[in-house]
Amino acid sequence: MPSISSKEKPMDSMYYGDTLIVDLEAGRTGQVSFDEVDEAGPGLPAGLALYEKYKEFDPLIFGSGLFTGTPVPGACLGFVLGKSPLTGEPAVAPLNLFAGAEMKLSGFSMVVVKGASAKPVYLWLHDGVPDIEDASALAGKDTWDTTDGIRREMGEGLIQVICIGPAGEAGSDSAALSINYWGSGDTAALGAVMGRKNLKAVALRGLGMLDADEPEEFYDGALELLASAKVDTGFKSMCSALGAPDLDAWLSPIAHRRRACFACPATCATFVKYNEAPSVMESTDVEEPGMLIANAAAALWLMQGGWDVEAACRAMEAMAREGLDMVRGARELSETPLTDAGKITAAVKALEGSTAARWTVAEPAAPGLFGPWVPPLGGYESWLEANRIGYSLGICPTFLLLCGTDTSRLLELCVPAAGLETGQDEIAGMYG
Amino acid sequence: MKGRTRRAASHPALAGYAAAFKSVPSVAVYCGAGASHSWIWFTDLLERLGIFDVRFVSHGEILHGGALDASDFLLVGGGDTYEMAGSLGEEGAAIIEEFVRDGGLYHGSCAGAYLVLDGVDLEPFTPFRLITGDMLNVMHEPPPARCLEHKYLAPYGRDWVFHPVYGEVELRPGPAADGLSVVNAARPLGAPLFGGPVLRIPDPQCRLADYAGVTDRAAFLWPRVDAERLITGRQAVAVRSLGEGTVVASGPHLEHPLFPLANALLAAVFARHHQKRVAAGPLPRATGETRARIEPDRVAPIAGYEVALLEIKRQVSNARIVGSGLEKMPVTWKIGVKVWEPEKIRMFLEYAWDRLPYLQDYAARGLPIPIRKLEALALGYGEVTGLAKTLKLAVESGEDSQAEAQTLLTGLKELTASFLSLYFRLRLEEQWRTAARYRGTDAHG
Repeated sequence: MPSISSKEKPMDSMYYGDTLIVDLEAGRTGQVSFDEVDEAGPGLPAGLALYEKYKEFDPLIFGSGLFTGTPVPGACLGFVLGKSPLTGEPAVAPLNLFAGAEMKLSGFSMVVVKGASAKPVYLWLHDGVPDIEDASALAGKDTWDTTDGIRREMGEGLIQVICIGPAGEAGSDSAALSINYWGSGDTAALGAVMGRKNLKAVALRGLGMLDADEPEEFYDGALELLASAKVDTGFKSMCSALGAPDLDAWLSPIAHRRRACFACPATCATFVKYNEAPSVMESTDVEEPGMLIANAAAALWLMQGGWDVEAACRAMEAMAREGLDMVRGARELSETPLTDAGKITAAVKALEGSTAARWTVAEPAAPGLFGPWVPPLGGYESWLEANRIGYSLGICPTFLLLCGTDTSRLLELCVPAAGLETGQDEIAGMYG
Repeated sequence: MKGRTRRAASHPALAGYAAAFKSVPSVAVYCGAGASHSWIWFTDLLERLGIFDVRFVSHGEILHGGALDASDFLLVGGGDTYEMAGSLGEEGAAIIEEFVRDGGLYHGSCAGAYLVLDGVDLEPFTPFRLITGDMLNVMHEPPPARCLEHKYLAPYGRDWVFHPVYGEVELRPGPAADGLSVVNAARPLGAPLFGGPVLRIPDPQCRLADYAGVTDRAAFLWPRVDAERLITGRQAVAVRSLGEGTVVASGPHLEHPLFPLANALLAAVFARHHQKRVAAGPLPRATGETRARIEPDRVAPIAGYEVALLEIKRQVSNARIVGSGLEKMPVTWKIGVKVWEPEKIRMFLEYAWDRLPYLQDYAARGLPIPIRKLEALALGYGEVTGLAKTLKLAVESGEDSQAEAQTLLTGLKELTASFLSLYFRLRLEEQWRTAARYRGTDAHG
């Protein structure tokens, strides 16, 4: 258990309010003060404590780490935790891009979704208000239309939508939850759990601000860490780390821009254009010029399978739209390179029936709690530590591994952030 | 409450003034025709001064509702001066003048200042003549603006009122500030100028503050050196006694919540007037206590409050999320002579959002709130959310969104006034309840 410094209760800062309990069966929400969350430790350890408490209800836990949503470099990470249909064990999916930060700002420290709804619904979490909304009109829609539909209905394009596509609705073992349009690092088929719950999406938006115990010290510390991060990283480093330095060159003919997640100096994602020239910078009439490749491992499988880059990206778009696990899907598709659009669509659709649970990267850990989303940089122990610290503090583990962050300095920031004194061993201890 | 606002709210400059208003003045804040969004800034200042006997009044309530009969202060912010003057008319001008002569305080910022200058002598402004002075920012053919073109000009007969600088300016106290403890002649104080007048006040004894210069936190619609030359040394704030009362006309928004020293200057003027009135005998106007009394039929079960307050929170949140979406779109709307940006939508909403926790806490303590009022607010904010979404769709599709914007902004202004009226009423009730408790303690030793 982490020790407590000046505050009566740690983590009063950096988090909003109580834990939200969403009972989909009853169509009700309630908020509880859950002391075990504080005792367990920040981020995922708190989520695991909630999972244990509610596991008879097949819960999905949505949460964020201590620093998620703050200026600490890499502080983009939230998580979804649930029982993986693939293993029957608890597993986590990352909420990166801007979803983790918005999770934090939506006004809830942790959200437990239990039971299943009789009809399709989505959760609209905004500024501390939990609403269960009818999703009948979204049923059967792919992740792109679902994201657009919710954003249109709520009137704001920055709403972060964690959703499922047809694969998740069908409860497919190949289903993954998607962060907006772009898929996710869900390799545990938690998208299928959402489908079983008739939970089409969780939409997040908050306009609040986070507080720190010692705001100036915390902010200065965050800036120091940013200055010390190796920022000449990003997609190229990611490719090298995956053992595929040529992946960057393969994507480059259709690469339009690099993108980073919230508060991260590493531009790991690449937006590719294949429906118009990648050199076009202005907005045009082309409605969908391309997609964001936020999952380098999926692209790697297709490249190694001999796919043409444009066809591969179209296949990844199709998988993202269907709400499929792109890494496992890409591994299956890699065996038969395709170029015909109709055949690509059919092959992707066929993945929904796949029950193959092929773990590709980070074999030593998979299919454990963390899964293979984070590339195995620097050996298993480093990988495991980065996951543990990352999911506790809300820092992307890939950033920690890629950018050489000073972990002890990062942990020291817990004090000005939230009056929490903790260390590497204590964090490890939080995972049992 | 955002960080900078919170820091400004706790600034020590205002600390001493709350005591000056122990005998609580009754304040009317004008939010009627022509008022833009800036009247809401007065609420921050009044709260900081512990003045909770506050009502938000329209031109109709001034003309036909006797709104000023029960008021000690009338505060008028910025907006469309034509619309204000036209709606209040000669009758309104006469009511306001009588209000001041009988001992009231009139404070006008920006449009509220233009309104009462006797040198602004053109229909429909002619009947409003509370301050002897003129505006200098008027020209027949102003040079083109270097930026913020939509903020630059307003028609004035055959001429144009123009604004050479937009943002923070520096003020230096004038002779009329003598004796005010807030004044530090060695250090100019900052205040935001958002289209208010550059004044020419002939009587030095009426000069409360002059423009001392501009700051880097301003946009320059003229070359900086020319803008600085035009305003520096000219009058920014004028004050005069009229009958038993006081008139204040300010180009800059001294009431803006991010400028605590400007707030303190205004508070000092309010306090000087109020203390003079209190010293002259009991205030002739209705006291807050009589208006604050709770009506028994307003009591509802706490669960009823919770439901209504959650619905208000839900809808204010929804509306401000749509508002934040609109802020990213390159659109403005011209209503009368005033240009409105999408940011104004959220400005109104934030005032309700920041004050909702007080209402929730009030209800949680078992104190009575008029439940029907809460229900009406919930309904109103639901309508605002719907209107905001309709407006956003119109903007996104490239349609003319003028009508939708006008409906939304007008509705939002009225709803904000309604929300703040309730909020101040509850604060006042609590203030009186606390005061009564202390009196009881004293009585029983």
